Amino acid sequence: MAHTDTRSIDRWAGGACPFDAGWRKVMMWWFIVTDGLLFAGFLASYGYARILAFNWPEQAEVFSLKYIAAMTFVLISSSATMASAVHAMAEGKRGQALKFVVFTAIGGIVFLGMQAYEWSHLIGEGARLVRNPWGEASFGAYFFLLTGFHGTHVLTGVVILVSTAIRLARNRSTKDGVEMAGLYWHFVDLVWVFIFTLFYLL
Amino acid sequence: MRGYWITWGVLLVFTAVMLWADAAPIPRLAFVVFMVAAMLTKASIIGANFMHLRAERAGIVLTVVVGLLVTAVVLYVLIVPDAARIHEMVSRYGPR
Repeated sequence: MAHTDTRSIDRWAGGACPFDAGWRKVMMWWFIVTDGLLFAGFLASYGYARILAFNWPEQAEVFSLKYIAAMTFVLISSSATMASAVHAMAEGKRGQALKFVVFTAIGGIVFLGMQAYEWSHLIGEGARLVRNPWGEASFGAYFFLLTGFHGTHVLTGVVILVSTAIRLARNRSTKDGVEMAGLYWHFVDLVWVFIFTLFYLL
Repeated sequence: MRGYWITWGVLLVFTAVMLWADAAPIPRLAFVVFMVAAMLTKASIIGANFMHLRAERAGIVLTVVVGLLVTAVVLYVLIVPDAARIHEMVSRYGPR
């Protein structure tokens, strides 16, 4: 029995700490995995409806892809500023980290503003949860639920970033705190990569 | 820090190429395969470089990546044939 235990520990090469990470980071990764599964379920349901549909609207007729590309640019750029904030904090450059966190929060707010404009534009054209003027009725439901659920995550991210910025300015935020905010923000960017491709392009 | 901005540039190039492909006259199957490959590559770049998975212990990387990928693949493998079957039945016999 003891022999088996030793082999098991060797295989994971971490002993009592198999992930070699603090509890905050491990918990944040578990959250990301579970939240990622929620989005995977959403996207799988969308895939089902999409394959089943006979008249799914042509995305290029409904959306301005240049506008969606601009939203993507904003989100990717905010991810780069967030990564820079985490790096600056790891090097002990608190002022620089604060500057990058603020840039990231601004990116998030711009993204939300652009999404609000996109929603109001499509609602103005007749898009609703249960009907739309372009084709398959479920198109509106998937559009509002997928982008809305993602937008809620962006909004949550902005709140986390603003709170992190305030804590940084007051000299209260730790390296771990900025890193966790960063992990969450990159996850939001990661999910957008899937929504952008599967919903807007395919 | 320079590495993050290189990653940013690479992600933007991928996005631009995907938008170009969207407007290009590519056969549907090749288009779908290309888009899914580009999407997974972008996601891997974000995970590895921005989320620092590249620097994490293998245990955490495998748990996160394999857990998410396997579940997503299982979801699609279970769902796609059923949706395709119903689509074909409706095409053949008409709606209920």
